[in-house]
Amino acid sequence: MTRDWWKHLILILGVIVVIAPFYMMVSYSFKSPGEIDRGEGGFFGRQEMMVDERCVKLRDPSRDDIAAAMDRFPGQTDAAIRTALVAEAEADCSMRPVVFNYSKAFTEAPLLRYLLNGVIVTASIFLIQVVVALPAAYALAKLKFWGRETVFGLVLFCLLIPVHAIALPLYIMLTKLGLTNSYAALVVPWTISVFGIFLMRQFFMTVPDDLIDAARMDGMSELAIVWRVMLPTAVPALMAFAIFSVVAHWNDYFWPRIVISGNRDLFTPPLGLREFKGDADGSFFGPMMATATVIVTPLIVAFLIAQKRFIEGITLSGMK
Amino acid sequence: MAGLKIENITKRFGETDVLKGVSLDIADGEFLSLVGPSGCGKSTLLRIIAGLEEQSSGEIYIGGAPVAGRRAADRNLSMVFQSYALYPHLSVAENIAVPLKMRRLSPLQRLPVLGRFMPGMRHQAAEIGTEITHAAKMLEIAHLLDRKPGQLSGGQRQRVALGRALVRDPTAFLLDEPLSNLDAKLRVQTRAEIAQLHRRLEATFIYVTHDQVEAMTMSDRIAVMMGGRILQCAAPDVVYDDPDTIEVAEFIGSPKINIVPVEVAETGEICLLDRKLDLLAQGRGKGVMSLGLRPEALRLAGEDAPIKGHVVHSENLGAELFVQIDAAGLGHPLTFRAAPRDRQALALGAPVGLAFDAAQALLFGADGLRVRDVRHHLPTQAEVA
Ligand SMILES: Nc1ncnc2c1ncn2[C@@H]1O[C@H](COP(=O)(O)OP(=O)(O)OP(=O)(O)O)[C@@H](O)[C@H]1O
Ligand SMILES: [Mg+2]
Repeated sequence: MTRDWWKHLILILGVIVVIAPFYMMVSYSFKSPGEIDRGEGGFFGRQEMMVDERCVKLRDPSRDDIAAAMDRFPGQTDAAIRTALVAEAEADCSMRPVVFNYSKAFTEAPLLRYLLNGVIVTASIFLIQVVVALPAAYALAKLKFWGRETVFGLVLFCLLIPVHAIALPLYIMLTKLGLTNSYAALVVPWTISVFGIFLMRQFFMTVPDDLIDAARMDGMSELAIVWRVMLPTAVPALMAFAIFSVVAHWNDYFWPRIVISGNRDLFTPPLGLREFKGDADGSFFGPMMATATVIVTPLIVAFLIAQKRFIEGITLSGMK
Repeated sequence: MAGLKIENITKRFGETDVLKGVSLDIADGEFLSLVGPSGCGKSTLLRIIAGLEEQSSGEIYIGGAPVAGRRAADRNLSMVFQSYALYPHLSVAENIAVPLKMRRLSPLQRLPVLGRFMPGMRHQAAEIGTEITHAAKMLEIAHLLDRKPGQLSGGQRQRVALGRALVRDPTAFLLDEPLSNLDAKLRVQTRAEIAQLHRRLEATFIYVTHDQVEAMTMSDRIAVMMGGRILQCAAPDVVYDDPDTIEVAEFIGSPKINIVPVEVAETGEICLLDRKLDLLAQGRGKGVMSLGLRPEALRLAGEDAPIKGHVVHSENLGAELFVQIDAAGLGHPLTFRAAPRDRQALALGAPVGLAFDAAQALLFGADGLRVRDVRHHLPTQAEVA
């Protein structure tokens, strides 16, 4: 045992605290409601066949159904036919809890549509943020103009404004423009990211002036320098910014909840989670957690892929 | 190709005057070196010529036309930067291609993916490819074309930077200490390559360096710059043999020129260590002046030599020997170039007498300016002592 065991202990405790909610989420998405209620079944649950009560209730045979089923059960009483039909329905509606949870996640609400909305919104936000932030950061870092320090001061100042503080005025402005309940309402307020401008400006400060002058000598315009020289060298910083931006807006519940009311076609994934909250006929934790798992999976996959790019980056070593 | 004319350029950064009225006339096809100590404003002047920095006053003419207000890209100059400044994300071939692409292709043709399908693109791409190969062959980097700058050695990067500047056909080349990051051997080799390149291209070169050996060996003319002024601009041998000021004399030449104080009498007679030299500086009045003696102007002499001292240090370079001699009555040691056969006589601590040709001595006034109207008492070949 090394002398550093206590460091590892602290780190392991930290990991447990961070991982625990995820563990619960994934575990619940596998289990049946009974197991969730009783807190049993380990991680995967026992995966015993279960009957979907709602499904059975929906198929409760009516008088017409029984009459129609007469042919299949010749010479039996109505009560016996009814029992047989209910048994059939129960057989059809029984499934493994994991199948139940995930199929509910996709059928109870249009989850695919929500995921698509999430992709459209986060991608548009990030792209427009980059289109705005890169030239702004370049100007703040590398161009000399009157009032540059003041403008940069304003950028820093804007970093201090919490979004919740300006949510109401933003909402009112969007309403006046008639933009609520549209993709624009989800995207437009976030297109100028002062954090992005600040982050990219700090990175651009480290790019040698000679590189930019060389580009000018080679005949590039200032905008060409931004897209052809600064953007490719800034990929690592851009990836870091992408994480902040995409995670924040993919997971955002607050803002979509405010500007999207009613029109379910515009729901983003977190809004989709609401579909399972406190239904009258019992708790729906299984499908809810399955939905949550489906929502976070794209993020985790994306960042596992991006991880390599993060670490290697493009070094500026070619310049010296 | 065209000449350049720089007229009375000044540059202020805030409160500091970096350039204080620089004028230069550079002929078409000339190789001009700009030398001077660190911080004297060489890079600033070059950047102003390139259009990367704006002068506070003064005018620049390229090929006879004033270029005030013209962007760097439109001046059609080519520059190699002190730090190479290669694009780190592009391969060597792409780095060299950038200036050609930016000038020859339309904005549509430069689009990242679609550009390839624009009309006329295939022909253009082939042409650019040929020129890159040609430049790469000339600089012997053809085998490196697919690498990124990060995977190259300093010398290779420097050649790529040169290649990027050379593929174009600019009015003039501006090179800012392009050899400063190379090791001694590569520096000598690349120095020769650049000189050859100049002969072959017959283009105008302005070459900034603080290494005076580079300047001496490569240039048609040297402009010695100090404190934001050009002190002298002349052919290398003129700058060496006939400097205008004491600063130029001290800056050019390695080891440094020896400066010894001399006294000038009312009559113009000059005395070194109370000994009369056969030099006359008339009409300047009484006072103290400085005499510059190159290490090779000194030679060993016998008992009655004007300068006497002893050896305090010596450096053997094989073909020659530089000996430091502490002479009585002079503040600091003199450097003297001796032949290897004199090694025995120049052991550490040995007493030495030194003499010199009056004709090779350079006289400077108290203000540091050269005093040229000196006369010799005797025929120039005659010797002191
Ligand atoms: N942007 C700037 N702002 C303020 N002062 C500057 C700026 N650029 C250069 N200077 C000053 O101008 C002077 C000349 O700088 P310059 O880079 O031209 O020197 P140099 O002769 O090229 O030196 P070196 O041989 O070290 O490259 C220096 O004292 C430097 O501090
Ligand atoms: Mg410099």
